[in-house]
Formats: sequence, structure tokens, C-alpha cells
Amino acid sequence: MMSPATLTRRIAPVLACVGLLAVWQVASLALKNDSFPTAIEAIRAIPDILGDKEALINILASLRRMAIGFGVAVLFSIPLGLLMGRSRAVAAFFNPLLMIIYPVPKAALMPIIMLWLGVGDVTKTLVIFLGVSLPVIYHSFEGAKAVEEKMLWSGAAMGLSPLQRLVRIVLPAALPEILTGCRTGLVLALITMITSEMIARQSGAGNILFNALDMGQYDTVFAMIIIVGAMGIGLDAIFERVRARLVRWSEPQFDMPLSFS
Amino acid sequence: MKVVPSRSNEWVRSVTPQKPASAIIEIDRVSQVFQTSTRKEHLALSEISLTIEEGAFVSILGPSGCGKSTLLYIVGGFVSPTSGAAKIKGQAITGPGLDRGPVFQEFALFPWKTVLGNVMYGPRQQGVRAIEAEAQSRALIEMVGLKGYENFYPKELSGGMKQRVALARTLAYHPEVLLMDEPFGALDAHTRTRLQNDLLNIWERDRKTVLFVTHSVDEAVFLSDKVVMMSKSPGRIRQVIDIDLPRPRRRNELLLDPRYQKYVVDIERMFDESDETGSPS
Repeated sequence: MMSPATLTRRIAPVLACVGLLAVWQVASLALKNDSFPTAIEAIRAIPDILGDKEALINILASLRRMAIGFGVAVLFSIPLGLLMGRSRAVAAFFNPLLMIIYPVPKAALMPIIMLWLGVGDVTKTLVIFLGVSLPVIYHSFEGAKAVEEKMLWSGAAMGLSPLQRLVRIVLPAALPEILTGCRTGLVLALITMITSEMIARQSGAGNILFNALDMGQYDTVFAMIIIVGAMGIGLDAIFERVRARLVRWSEPQFDMPLSFS
Repeated sequence: MKVVPSRSNEWVRSVTPQKPASAIIEIDRVSQVFQTSTRKEHLALSEISLTIEEGAFVSILGPSGCGKSTLLYIVGGFVSPTSGAAKIKGQAITGPGLDRGPVFQEFALFPWKTVLGNVMYGPRQQGVRAIEAEAQSRALIEMVGLKGYENFYPKELSGGMKQRVALARTLAYHPEVLLMDEPFGALDAHTRTRLQNDLLNIWERDRKTVLFVTHSVDEAVFLSDKVVMMSKSPGRIRQVIDIDLPRPRRRNELLLDPRYQKYVVDIERMFDESDETGSPS
């Protein structure tokens, strides 16, 4: 038997999704607008998209670019962030560069990158890479900076070299913070994936969405929005499982109630 | 009670008859200057000279801000002195080393490792085979009184237990000198007393050299062979006092011993008399 608290926790997300769809349904019925299909119409259009081989290939191509962009960004950003967090010189060099890039919407760089690299996979993956890198660098940086000095001293006394201390003390100690950055990065990867395909129409989930929009197939548009949203929920859930496993040692042991009754 | 005055910072130890003096750590005119936030220079340690014999339990006692921890960090090789030098077994200290094992007030455990993982860390780093390292570590965990907690994470332990793990983790790689930086400073009085007793029991088995920083007079007298009294601004050695009390020491006997009481009272009086700082603790 599940305890009432566990049951509530399990049901809560389902309730949230159903609630959102209900509000949508009521709103679209009330507005009676051609470009705003009801939730039920949108959901009905989903099997058509997922049943279409061409569409599936497009969506999988999107996911592949996203996975590569995200993976490369994480592999690049974590070491850079950790080095910045432990070396003032490295931080002083990279901080201004990152602050210049941070506020620029990555999709705004697309037209330029397209001129250089074309409209293919490389351009889109590069934009995803840029979108993911910054939060991961930032959180790795903050995480590495916060590592207790005495912990590093303890490692040094045990004979760990500077590189070993970075990999075997700073990295695990900063992992909870790094993974917070990766989670933000994952959401940004999804966003940049769609926007990159909006700008460079060639293939992908974003391509299906915006083509449908051009042709006035609004149920397909909204069905794609649901599909992209579901992808977000799914990816985040997978990520959360991995994260919880990796940083179990740092999680609070108890629920944090607002009141004690 | 022998009170050995520090002669112009050049302190020479009076040889104890039963053990021939063999210096393991020599601190030679060490000074440390810090830049404060207002860009002023603060002299934290001024011309400290001190010799520590092998197997001695030496406490550095002083008010907060007297630079006693800094002195310990210099011996640990974590901080380089502005001038002067520290040596271990005749070799200049240039960085941390396996011969000196620190135990910090903040515990500094690896939170992602279990108790066993923390204690095994040093031996594994030295290339001890996993099976051996584990057996040794389990024995050490038992020795510090944490049998049954091997698979707990540090966040699941109380402060006193964390410090026991930290001690076991350092003992696990067999440093010749233990550097203890106010190790019981963050603990409540009861836990503190128990850890002092247990530390003495453990120490009396193999008599490693211990350099122990504290601001508690009781603690220093109870544990030490020798108490180095420091004064602050700038940090200087005021006096080095040999604590001539029998070992093994048992708290319930010692607290009633007039010699113990006299050491405590005399040291407290000396701190009170100094107009600069007042009594520590």
C-alpha cells in the first residue's frame, strides 16, 4: 500500500496535465477561433503525425542533433567551468567572453552561422551547443568555487596531484550544482532545437510545426506543441532519475513541510 | 611545574630524561603577513621558533586570532610562510605530504563517499589493494567507535561522529604527525569530552607525534605533554609549559589531581595577566 503522502506525490503531476488540458478545452470552446483548436482535436492529430514515417524521421533527426549538441556541450563546459572555479586567472580570462555571449539569443546567431556552415546539421547542432554551454559552465564554475578548501587540503595531504584533486574532489563535490546547470541546459537544448529548425527549415520537429502553421493546419501545430512538451517532460524525467542516483548523498532526507500538524 | 620562558623566540627544549630528544618538526623564525581587505598588512605570526619531538603531544594554545591555526597550516604545507622556514625530519616543508595528516574543525569529509569510502580513500590512493584497504579501514572504524556505520554518508552523522570518521580517515594512511586544528571546537561539551578521552586512548597506543591547536586550557592540559602558549597581534609564543602528569591519563583521576588543577589555574592566570588578550576560552 502507498502512503497518502506518496499517493499525493504520484497523482500531482497527472492532475496538473489533465487540468491544463481541461482549461485549454474550455478556453478554445469559449473563443471559437479557427486558429485555436480544442485540446481534443489536437490530441486526435497526434497519431497521424507519429504514424507518418516522414514525420518520425524528422523528429528523430531533431533528437539526434539535440543529443549531440547537449552531449558535446556538457563534455566541454564542465571541465571549463571547474577550471574557472579553481583558477582566478582562467576565470578572469573567460568571464568577460561568456558575459558577452550570455545575453545574445543563440538563435539570433543562426543566420550568420548559416552563411558560414550552411543550413545543415552542423549549424543547428552548433546553436544547440551554444545554448547548452553557458548554464553548464556557469553552474560548474559556481559549484567548483564553493568547494571547501579544507576538503582539497585533505586530498593534497593524501597525495592527490592538482589534476587528481580537480577530477576526484572538485568534480564530485560540485556535482549537485553541475547537474542543476545540466538540467537548465537540457531545457535550453529543446528550445534551441525548435528555434533552429524554425530558422533553417529543412528537417526536424520544428520544421513540421512551422510548415503546418504556414498551411493553416492548426490541429497539427498544436499536436506538435504537445509532442514537444511531452518530449520535454520525458527527457526531464529521465534526467531527474539519473541525477537523483548520482547525488543521492547530498539530498535532504526528509520532506520539507511548510507547516507541522 | 616547570615553566620554560621563551627566550627571545629562540626556544630550546629541556630534555626529558626518559626519552632522548629527537626533533621531528622544527619551526625556524616563521612569520606570516596577511593582506587585509583594506589593503593593510596584518602580521599574523611573528618570528615563531619551535621544536617538536617525535612522539610528543604538543598543544598550541591561544585566543582566537593569534595565528595558531596558521602555524599549523604552515607545518601542514598548506600555507607558505612569508619568511622563515619549517622542517620535518630535517627536510624543508614545501607542500602537503603523507607524513603529516590533518584533522580539521570543519571535518572536511568527502560527502559523496560513505564512512568506509572516506576511510579507505587514503590507502587506496597509496595503491593498497581494495581488500586490504577495506579490512584495515573497518578495523579503524571500529577503533573510533563507529562499527555499524560503515555504509552511512557523512550527512547522516552527527558532528562528533563526523570527527571520528575524519580521525580514522587520517590515521588510515599512517602519517607520522597528526595536525589537529581545533578538532573538537565545533562539538558540544559532552561530545567533546568523549572525543578527548577516545583520542587519548588511541594516541597512547602508538604515540604518534601530535600538534594540536586549541583555545581550551582544560583540553590542552588534559591531552598534552607540552603546551605552547601564544599571544596575539602579532602572534608570538609567550611561554612553553611542560605538562608533567602521568600517563595513561584518566579524566576522573586527573580532574581531582591537584597538579592538573594547578596547571589549568596557572595557565589561565597567565592569560588573564596579559593586558593584550585576556583568557582564551
